[in-house]
Parts: sequence; structure tokens; C-alpha cells
Amino acid sequence: MILRFDRLQPALAAMLCVLGVMTVFSAGADWVRQVLWVALGAAAYVAATLYDYRRLRGLAPSLYVVMLVALLAVHLVGHTALGARRWLSVAGFPLEPSELSKLLLVIVLAAYLSRDERITWRAFVGALGLVAAPAALVLMQPDLGTTMVLLAVSLGMLFLAGARPAQLGAVVTAGVVAVPLLPHILHGYQRRRLEIFLDPTQDPLGAGYNLLQARIAVGSGGLFGRGWLHGLQGQLGFVPERATDFVFATFAEEFGLLGSLVLLTVFGVLLLRLLRPAGVASDRFGELLAAGVFGVVLVQVVQNVGMNIGLLPIAGIPLPLISYGGSATITTLAALGLAQSVIVRRRTVVFQEGPVRLRPASHHLPPGASRRLPMDGEDSRTIRRRAQA
Amino acid sequence: MIRLGGGQPRPRWSLRLLSVALAALLLIGVLMFQLARLQVTDGARLAALARANSIRHVVLEADRGIIYDRHGAPLVENSPVWNLVAIPAGLPLNGTDRATELAELSRLAGVPEQKMASQLLSAPDLYASTTLKANLTLAEELAVNERLPEMPGVSIAQRSVRSYVDPLVFGHVLGYVGPIAPPELKALQAQGYQPDEMVGRVGIEAGLESFLRGTDGWADEEVDARGQVERVLAMQAPLPGDAVYLTLDASLQRATAASLAAGLVRDGKTAGASVVMDPRTGEVLAMVSLPGYDTNLFTHGISRADYSRLLNDPDKPLLNRAIAGQYAPGSTFKMVTATAGLQEGKITAQTLLSCPPYVNVNGWIYHNWASYSLGYMNVAKALATSCDTFFYQVAAMVGDVTLAKYARAYGFGAAKDIELPGVMAGLVPDRIWKQLQCGVPDLNSDACRWTEGDTITFGIGQSYLLTTPLNQAVYVAAVANGGRVLRPTLVNAVRDVAGRTVSKEQPVVTGTVPASPDNIQAVREGMREEINRPYNMNYWFRAAGVPADGGGKTGTAQWGGSGLDLPTHAWFVFFAPYAQPEVALSVFVERGELSEVEAAPIGVDVMKFYRANIAAIRA
Repeated sequence: MILRFDRLQPALAAMLCVLGVMTVFSAGADWVRQVLWVALGAAAYVAATLYDYRRLRGLAPSLYVVMLVALLAVHLVGHTALGARRWLSVAGFPLEPSELSKLLLVIVLAAYLSRDERITWRAFVGALGLVAAPAALVLMQPDLGTTMVLLAVSLGMLFLAGARPAQLGAVVTAGVVAVPLLPHILHGYQRRRLEIFLDPTQDPLGAGYNLLQARIAVGSGGLFGRGWLHGLQGQLGFVPERATDFVFATFAEEFGLLGSLVLLTVFGVLLLRLLRPAGVASDRFGELLAAGVFGVVLVQVVQNVGMNIGLLPIAGIPLPLISYGGSATITTLAALGLAQSVIVRRRTVVFQEGPVRLRPASHHLPPGASRRLPMDGEDSRTIRRRAQA
Repeated sequence: MIRLGGGQPRPRWSLRLLSVALAALLLIGVLMFQLARLQVTDGARLAALARANSIRHVVLEADRGIIYDRHGAPLVENSPVWNLVAIPAGLPLNGTDRATELAELSRLAGVPEQKMASQLLSAPDLYASTTLKANLTLAEELAVNERLPEMPGVSIAQRSVRSYVDPLVFGHVLGYVGPIAPPELKALQAQGYQPDEMVGRVGIEAGLESFLRGTDGWADEEVDARGQVERVLAMQAPLPGDAVYLTLDASLQRATAASLAAGLVRDGKTAGASVVMDPRTGEVLAMVSLPGYDTNLFTHGISRADYSRLLNDPDKPLLNRAIAGQYAPGSTFKMVTATAGLQEGKITAQTLLSCPPYVNVNGWIYHNWASYSLGYMNVAKALATSCDTFFYQVAAMVGDVTLAKYARAYGFGAAKDIELPGVMAGLVPDRIWKQLQCGVPDLNSDACRWTEGDTITFGIGQSYLLTTPLNQAVYVAAVANGGRVLRPTLVNAVRDVAGRTVSKEQPVVTGTVPASPDNIQAVREGMREEINRPYNMNYWFRAAGVPADGGGKTGTAQWGGSGLDLPTHAWFVFFAPYAQPEVALSVFVERGELSEVEAAPIGVDVMKFYRANIAAIRA
């Protein structure tokens, strides 16, 4: 088991956590708490690694119910912050179910899509239905950013699960059709954010302030940055939400372009490392689970960094493992732990089950080859090679 | 058992997995590219914006110098006021929080929300403080102060405001400070003035602006997003303005104002002026112009209604008559005519001339004040009785050109170089001046041509002659001191904050009357006789218990054209004691009808106070 353990992935995650705590400390947030979250997250990581992810498949229906109940509970008894209901108080700790829902939806969707190798229209519509309920609940909080993350991750999972181009095309078309409806669906502040993104100077002190100040902070970091704890904009509070949504601006100001490139490189390597379990998983559920974790991290990194440097509109999305926040940190580490669990239990020399491919393999295989169960010590390559022989 | 790669199967990279991996790398590449653009290409520009965000240059206002009377009694103080200020960038960004804060402020400070909101919107610099309300009351200041911790971006700024002592008495001399008018702003900013600074507008405040202002300091502060100061990077302490010690005696000034006010009330008049000076040094001991006005209104920002009330008041309270009111001197001018006649050899002190009820010049009749003949008299008697026809004759003998020369020698027609802005010169007319009064000189018209009548009325201080109460005081001081015309001064000394004397006034003689001591003595003799005439001027001195030791001259000057029943102003000039004069004064009563009854008692009243308090005044 130790031999199969991917040592690089937790090392990268640990690096990010250290940088995160440093930045959170510099941003003047409660860094002791963040250390506590990281410690709890590390425990969750170990637990998830040790846990046989395959058992989650059976738990998926219950997890789905738990997710919906938690999201509903936010609406009923949640705490309000910045005009949105997002928080639940659990044993005195604030819990953000929408953060948790990112991982839960990945598990549920992976379980659902792994039931069958082919994505029939019926299965496709069913998957959309599964996503729609939590997405709608999150959108009503209102939390457009997390909704977008959920939808993007779901789309990515469908793509990797082998959805047909026609199916994906239909979703994209529906999305294009829905865009004109967006102004009616969006809340005032969300619409404003979109307008401000298009022209941040139109209200430099109001809604455009965040965007402008974040850009100023990032830009003033220059090549080498102002140095840890010496960021003017972050330290003096010109950067809003400088420990959470705009933590990257704080980081970029203090560590400069060099530090930011290092950070993005670490994220990039971690992401590639997360694709590995998607390739080597011993079952289709494991593949999709790992792909989902990959998607959650990728979408959040791109969206968060993108809005910090003015490439994307503002949405309250944390930068995984860097932003201050318990729910997000613990959820992300638990998700990475699940990916590790997939790696640890990957296909090796001894196979119990047939390999499940992301796309039906039958097209590429000689007739009859795909139907065969591999023998001991075989993987698909062996099968193929044997078939070709 | 087949072993493949030591039991480590390589991932099966399907096409879709590969494309997702490439997409991820591409996205991160885009982020890196944009980062490089922001941090390298735009880095310098954005870093400058960052500095502008957080480094605030503030001006530390210097305290304005205090103005004291000659004995060190303060006539103005810098009193603190509290202004409600806000830094627009420091207010809550969230619309609802911002509205809540403004509503709360509006309740505490009593300013309409709309007004504050529009003020914040129109603020030129979002990181500089904007005054939302000036002059908070103590109750408002306490109420706002208590809630300040919950209201980001808002603070209370303490500034000092000039608060004048007895503005109705000292106002015309001290003047006031006011905001800089837009046209002057550019020139003053070059001298380091702030746009919202108060600058001396009239009076000593304006005349000694350069001493009183002091030098502002500055500080570079690092501030956070809420405008709270984190630390001071560099600073230069302000240097307070210099203290100005006036020549005024506060008690004599008050007494002069009280005497003048009482005299005006007694005779149903509304305006007047009086100047008391030392004929040895030119020091002005008192300078009063009535009606006065409350200069404190201006320092706190005068309301439109108050200002238009002052502007439209027919008594012109804003006019400092002592230096800027120009009136015909009337009979008080006769000392000049007498000096000219004596010095030019047209008469001697013993020459007797008749004093008929009128004289006839080229068919025009010029009257004496008396409708009967006063007989023959010498120049002293003519001064004492103020015989107009006597001086018509002397003026005709001397001629207008020579008379004008003597008038100028006594200081008429020249703006006095006193430390106040807006000093008027008065007017000494001559032939050329009169011709210039016509657009196209027409020597056949009496309106343009100097006539014999102009010459003889010039001799009794009429015709086109104009003077000011300050000029009159300087003039009578010159008669008193034997012909030295002094530069009048209001400033004794200017001392800097360490108490060192920056500038000390010395007596300046600006001119000497070209007349022999004997001739001036003859004129002085006439002035002594006038105040000693029984049943006339002497009555006031006896009534007040003041010895008639000195010389005086009254004058009832006609104004507003020519004719018989013209309105008049009343004058009284006086010096004392006769042998060694130490006080010279002028009293002016606007629209006064009888100078002996209306103006003279005021002067006597002032002298009564002076004599009773001479030790304190001269201490």
C-alpha cells in the first residue's frame, strides 16, 4: 500500500497549505484557526486515503439526500453574510454546505455515471436532473459562483464519462439560449458585478473597487513582490476580502510574479497529478471520482485567479488551500484524500474486476476482445496485445 | 504472472483525458500570461497607484498670530471648532451599509442625507477629507464622537477659527479673515496657501497677513483603506504666525467708540468716525468707525442673508470711514489757508481784515456763516470765530495753486501709509484736475474752468476738497507738533513665537510744512482761542471738567453740490496739551449739522477719558 502511495500529491498539497497559512497570516485573518482547519483537513485526508472509496458508491444516494437537506437547511436556518445565506452553525462551528456540496456532487455524479459505460440520453438527462436540484438551491442562496463551479465540474465529468458530442452540444446550446435570460435570474449585485467586470472604471469606489484594488495590488507586486508581510495594499486593507476571495491579490503583491508563477506551477503539477488516478483507477467510479476532484480544483483555481487579475467577473470562489476558510480547506483536502484513495487502490498486477474505460473500448478493439475478462495479471494493454497477436 | 513495469501500470491517456489535461495547462498558461502582463508591463503604473492609495500628504495648519493692543491685551483668539469630515474612499463600499451610516450621521449631526451624499459624490479627491458640516455644536460633536468607532471613513476635525473681542469696537481696525476668492486662488496657491485656508480680507488681518499667517507644516502619513493613520513617515511642524502688538489702547478705543456712539444717539445721527493719535510719533491710539459690524460672522462663514443685510444697509457698516470715508473738511481746513497767508507774506499775525456777512466775486455772492458783520479781526480771531469771509480774502490773496501746495504739505490728498488696506487719499483739487473732470475741456464753461469762486471756497475747505478722518488727525497733529507730518501707524511691534521682535515701528516724518515756527504758532494760537471762547466751545470743556488746554477747530462742511441749503457733515479736530501736545484727534459726524454742538462734545468726552486714564494709557 505504501508503495502505491502517490508521495508527490500530498507534498504539493502541503506546500499550498503552508503558503496559504502564510498569506492568511499576512492578510491579518485568524491564522491559528486556519492552521486548525489544515490540521483537521490533514486528518480528513488520511481518513479518506485509508477509506476504500468504492464503498462510497453504495452510500451515494444517502449522500445526495444529506447534501440536499444541508442546502435546504441553509435556506431555513442559515446565517446571513454579505447579503447571502451561506452558513450553518454546526456545534458552534460555521459550516458552508455549498463548499461541501462540491465534493458530494462529484461523488454522487461519479456513482451515477459509473452505473453504465454508455451515456444514454436517458442517463444524460438523469444526470442533469441530479445536478439541477443542488445547483438551484445554491443559486438561491444566492451564490452564483458556486453554482457555476457545480455546473462546470458536472459538464467536465460528463465529458470525461464519454457523453456523446450531441448530448454536450445540447447542453451548450441550452446554455447559449439561457444567457439572454440571465439578467432576469441574476440578483442586482450579481448583474452589477458582471457590468463592472466589463467596465471597472465606471464606479471605482463602489462595485468596481474590488476589481480595481485587486488589480492594483497584483500589479504593484512587480517581478519579485514587496516581500512577505510587506504588501502595502493588502496590509492596509485596500484589497477587500483579502484573506478569502482576494487572497491571491495579497499573495501576488507580496511574492511578485515569481511567487505567483511558482504558485500556479504547483497548482498545475497538482492538477496533472490528479488526472493520474483518473487514468489508472481500478474502476469507472474511481476514474470519474478522480476526474471530478480534478475538475473542482481546476475550476476554482482558474475562476479565483482569473477574477483577481481581472480576467473573469467577481464570484465568491475560494482559492483551494490558500483562502481562509474551514469548510473549503477541509473539503478540498478530503477530496485530495479520495483521489489518493483511488491511486492506492488502482489497477495493479492483480485485477479483480474488469477495467472500465472512460469511453467504450469496443470501437477500438478487435471483436471479441472487449468482452473478455482479463486474466490474472493482465490489464487492457495485455488484452489488446493478445488480441493483436 | 506477467509483470509490467514493476507492477506500475502507466495511465491510459484517452483522447478526452488528454484534451482535458491540455485545456487545464492552457488555462493556467493564460493566467500566467496575464499575470506577467499585470506585474511586469503594468507593474510600475499600478505600483504608483498603490502608493497614491496609501501615502497621504497632509498639511498641518499653522496657528495664526494673535493681535494685541499696546499693553498686550488680546483682541482676537483662535478658538477651536469641530468639523464633521469624511473620506469618501473610507466609507463602507456596500450600498446598504453606506446608506445606514449616512442616515445615522444625518440624525446625529443634523445634516440632510441628500446633501451629504451629493457632497461626497462631488468630492474632487476620493482619498482626501471633505467637510460634511462645519461648526458642530458641542452636543453634536459629543453625539458623533461617541459613535465614531462604528462609522468608518468619518471623523471629526478640529480647526481653529478667529474669534474677535468686541468686534463692533475693534472690527474696523482688525478686520477679519475669510475664504480665498476663486480669482486669487492661483496667485495665493503659488505662495503655499491651501484652497480652504482663511486669509486676511480687511483691516490688520489683511495688512499684516504675511506676519500673521505663519508657515504651514506637513506630514506624509501612511493610511489604511479606512483613512486611519498607520504611521507618520515624515513631518515638518508648523510655525505659528507672529504676534502683532498694535498702538491702540483697548480702553481708549472702547471709550472713543462709546463717546462717539453716545454723541450720535444724542443728535439722532447714525454714522461717524474718530481717530486719536500721538502727534509726536504718529501712533494711532484709537480708531473708530460707526456703525461697526460683527466680524465674527465672517470667520464662521457668513450667511447670504446677513451679508446682503450688511451690504444694503444705508449706513454702510462695512465702510471704515476713518480711512476710507472721504468728505470735505470744511472750516477745519482754515489752518492751512492761515498758514499759507502768513508764510506767503499776504498777511501777518497782526493784519486786520474785515469779516462781512458776504463777499461778491464776479457777481456771485459768497456768504459767511453769520448774517452780520463781525468787524475787523486778526488771523487768530478769524480762526476762533471761524470767519468764512476772512479766509475768502486770504485765499484770494494766496491763490489756488499756492493753497494746494500748502494743503499737500499738510498731508491732504495723499493716501496715508498705514497698515490697513483700502486707505483713501482724499482730494486736493487744482486747475488741471478740474479740467480733467470734463470729458472735453471747455475753458468757457464753469464746470471745467477753475473760477475765482473755486479758489475762495477752497480757502474754507469746500470747493472740491476731500479728506478722511485719518488725514484730519495727521493734519492736526502736524499743526500741534510745529509742522511735522507723521506717518500714522497702528503697529507697535511684531514678535515671533519665541518672543523676538521681528519688526518695530519707528516714528517716520513724511514731510514738513514749509512754514516758520512763528507762523505755525500763530495758527495754534487761533485754535487755542477757539476752544476758549466763553458761551461757546469752552462750555463743553467746563461741563466735562476738562481744562481747555490745547487747540481745536470745528467744521461744518457742506456737501452734495452747490447752493444755500446743502446737507452738512460735522468735524472737530483737537490737540492737547497746548505746550507739549501728546494727543491729536479728529471727530467726524456724518450728516452732522452743527459741529460745535455735535462733533466737539464727542472729542471733549474722549479727552476726558484720556486725562482720567493717562497713567494707564501711557504706561
